[in-house]
Amino acid sequence: MSEGRATLFADREEWKDVEPLEQYENLNPLAPILYTPEYKDATGYFRAIAKSGEKSPRVLVLTEAIIRMNPGHYSAWQYRYETLLAIDAPLDVELKLMNEFAVKYLKSYQVWHHRRLLVTIMRKPIPELAFITLSLSEDSKNYHTWSYRQWLLAYFNDEEDLWAKELDFVERMLAQDIRNNSAWHHRFFVVWASGVRDGEEDRERVLKRELTQQSISLAPNNASAWNYLRGILNHNKVAFSSVAEFVKLYTVPYDASRKDIVDVDLPPPGPSADLPCAAAIEFLADVYEQEGDKDGVQRATELWKSLATEHDTIRVKYWEHRIREALESVQS
Amino acid sequence: MAAEEQKETATLPKLTPFDNHPTPTSDVQHETEEILLEHLPSPDATAQSPYALNKSVHIQFLAKHLIKGLNARYISQDASQPWLLFWILQAFSCMGVVLDPDNCQRAIDKILACQHPAGGFSGGPGQAAHLLTTYASVCALAIIGRPGKGGGWEEIDRKAIYDFFLSVKQKDGSFLVAHHSEVDVRGIYCLLVVATLLDILTPELIAGTPEFIASCQTYEGGFSSSSFPSYDPHNPQKILEGSPRPALGEAHGGYTFCAVASWVLLQPYIKLLPPEAPKPSIDLKALLRWLVLMQGTESELGGFRGRTNKLVDGCYSWWCGGAFGLLEALGVGGLENAKSVSEEVIDQEEEALKGLKIGGGDWVDIDDELFNSKALQEYILLAGQAPDGGLRDKPPKAPDVYHTLYCLSGLSIAQHHVFPSTSKCKKLSEAWNPFNERKIDLGVSSEDKDLNASLRREAYAAILSWDEDIARASSYAHIVGGKDNRLNATHPITNLTMTHTEGIAKWAYGL
Repeated sequence: MSEGRATLFADREEWKDVEPLEQYENLNPLAPILYTPEYKDATGYFRAIAKSGEKSPRVLVLTEAIIRMNPGHYSAWQYRYETLLAIDAPLDVELKLMNEFAVKYLKSYQVWHHRRLLVTIMRKPIPELAFITLSLSEDSKNYHTWSYRQWLLAYFNDEEDLWAKELDFVERMLAQDIRNNSAWHHRFFVVWASGVRDGEEDRERVLKRELTQQSISLAPNNASAWNYLRGILNHNKVAFSSVAEFVKLYTVPYDASRKDIVDVDLPPPGPSADLPCAAAIEFLADVYEQEGDKDGVQRATELWKSLATEHDTIRVKYWEHRIREALESVQS
Repeated sequence: MAAEEQKETATLPKLTPFDNHPTPTSDVQHETEEILLEHLPSPDATAQSPYALNKSVHIQFLAKHLIKGLNARYISQDASQPWLLFWILQAFSCMGVVLDPDNCQRAIDKILACQHPAGGFSGGPGQAAHLLTTYASVCALAIIGRPGKGGGWEEIDRKAIYDFFLSVKQKDGSFLVAHHSEVDVRGIYCLLVVATLLDILTPELIAGTPEFIASCQTYEGGFSSSSFPSYDPHNPQKILEGSPRPALGEAHGGYTFCAVASWVLLQPYIKLLPPEAPKPSIDLKALLRWLVLMQGTESELGGFRGRTNKLVDGCYSWWCGGAFGLLEALGVGGLENAKSVSEEVIDQEEEALKGLKIGGGDWVDIDDELFNSKALQEYILLAGQAPDGGLRDKPPKAPDVYHTLYCLSGLSIAQHHVFPSTSKCKKLSEAWNPFNERKIDLGVSSEDKDLNASLRREAYAAILSWDEDIARASSYAHIVGGKDNRLNATHPITNLTMTHTEGIAKWAYGL
């Protein structure tokens, strides 16, 4: 046997009593996977165990070996979880193993879900925040990692120890990459979608703080920031026109001669901004359309046409659709 | 030299603006665009059209995997064996390839070996039942199976699948994808397709599911994996009263397709709810906006991305591109659903839209779609095809069977216009025989009987109401690269051909 390679289960004394099960009997399957000997060996024993229903410490050894070769083997995870409960295994040991797995098999659904099952029982959510932050430093847009963090906050829902520093965390993530949409979604989750947090009851103040003008002025062509701005205005039922003066600054080419009035609500674009910005033009068109009269639709149509012919030509069909819909709405 | 270089770059689309503020996102975005732009055909392209779909090498690629097998890299897909078969078989169907009877039987036998004794289909023999592999198995059987003993359809234990479905149902209308596993909208989509195709859709099964789906729409307009309420910090069993139900994870192409297709599949049920019942709703305008924004610009060759500020990937040709067909069933876009508008408005529209129409050259404009189907075809043909066969995420990645199917399905929906025909739906519903009883006893309670009977009829009519636009089907004008690139039309909900969808559904409903 080559060095470093684990012994096959077939060669282990403690597995002598188990007869491994073939995957396909009397069948020459189409599209077979060309397994390694180690994988074929371990999964043969797994099928036998799953059939007999055995729940014992050696099942943990077996399922761990399979998961290391294929972290997507959901049945091995499922059986492992049932075994942990059945033999009353120490879950903190399991969680430690998961710390290693989460980094190794970051993309797997199961690695995060298993963690969720463990933490649900253990009820120790606080160290999880630091662990998640560490994982995100490996893969800052990992869908499962972010969803897990959101679940943790909602399920344990501890104001003082879990939620209190979450906005600071979002700020740090956005400082690393202002275009990280996962972080923007998390921001929406924390500030708006999960309800009102302690000390955030003054929603008018919170909305003003969240308007993202500073982010947009830093990098105007950032779809995440524009979507967030739209999202919070819709969520709070505030008209888009409330930020029209700000948005207008981004719908025209940069003008070096313009004298900026220092106004925190109207941060202007910098000299390196790529203007005009398509997202700003789209936003302003929505402001005009929301005016609801023929004149507004006329002005919106001009902007949509400029998107269709110049600033966002790939979406010409959509801008045509918007023009049609708007014209029909003022007719009826 | 310098002038020449300048001339060459001047013809290239401009890169995504980054405001001279580089971050990891804009860095990788630009690297990707540079590579993609190398795949634009050069003006002095040789005899072979750069837009040709190399069907023969793709068929060889698939046949090699089907017959010789998949290399050890695919061990990661060992719990997705029915998927591997479905991806290969449906990619064949898309290209009009029919399997010989011997291999058909081998495929049927393999899928049936994945049927779990307690109901549903597993990732492989001896594995646990899973909603996703149940969809893949049933769809694979729709392609290769047939009525009659040994044909694969009679062998599907529908009552057991139904019991498995009920066993993973949650109080909030969602479903676990497998026992002890996660909740997400992919599982719900898979469950609804199977339940609709196999005539095991009941009011009891899907009560609460529309509300759950609606709760997964995010502020961006697309859908996330799932949603979750806030719990009482002192009581792990208690949901806080009146707590909101935020989405877990951001809007995502794969989840959005699954959520919107589920929403369409739930329409017959939603329409049958009593008028006084609260009707859940989704924001269609925000959904449409998010979907169109997922299409990359010219510097990304018009491919689709799966999330805001992420990279384009061939598989989203189907997950995002395919979702536009679904929108037509919800009254968004499509000539079929056009409102009646006065002549005066049409004139105004014509005036306003003058000079906007895309195209030039041979491209015939079509008014019935909301994304850029020409650009999407170009992405798949120029960047999606691996030179040695198979399709891929993006160059220079290796092809695999998953991307091969979803690139082809995306190409198919960009070539064809398949729409929900209201007249066909009405005809199917009217022709329904009220004495046609379900072939299997699901143990539906007697108080649900009337609603149950109506739901069966309407679900059947709705899934088979999709029809291909004949005028467009008979012309090759919308096919980039010409008629040799033509693929079979794809059913926007099942991702099967129209014929395979109809075949298994008619058998299941006893028609």
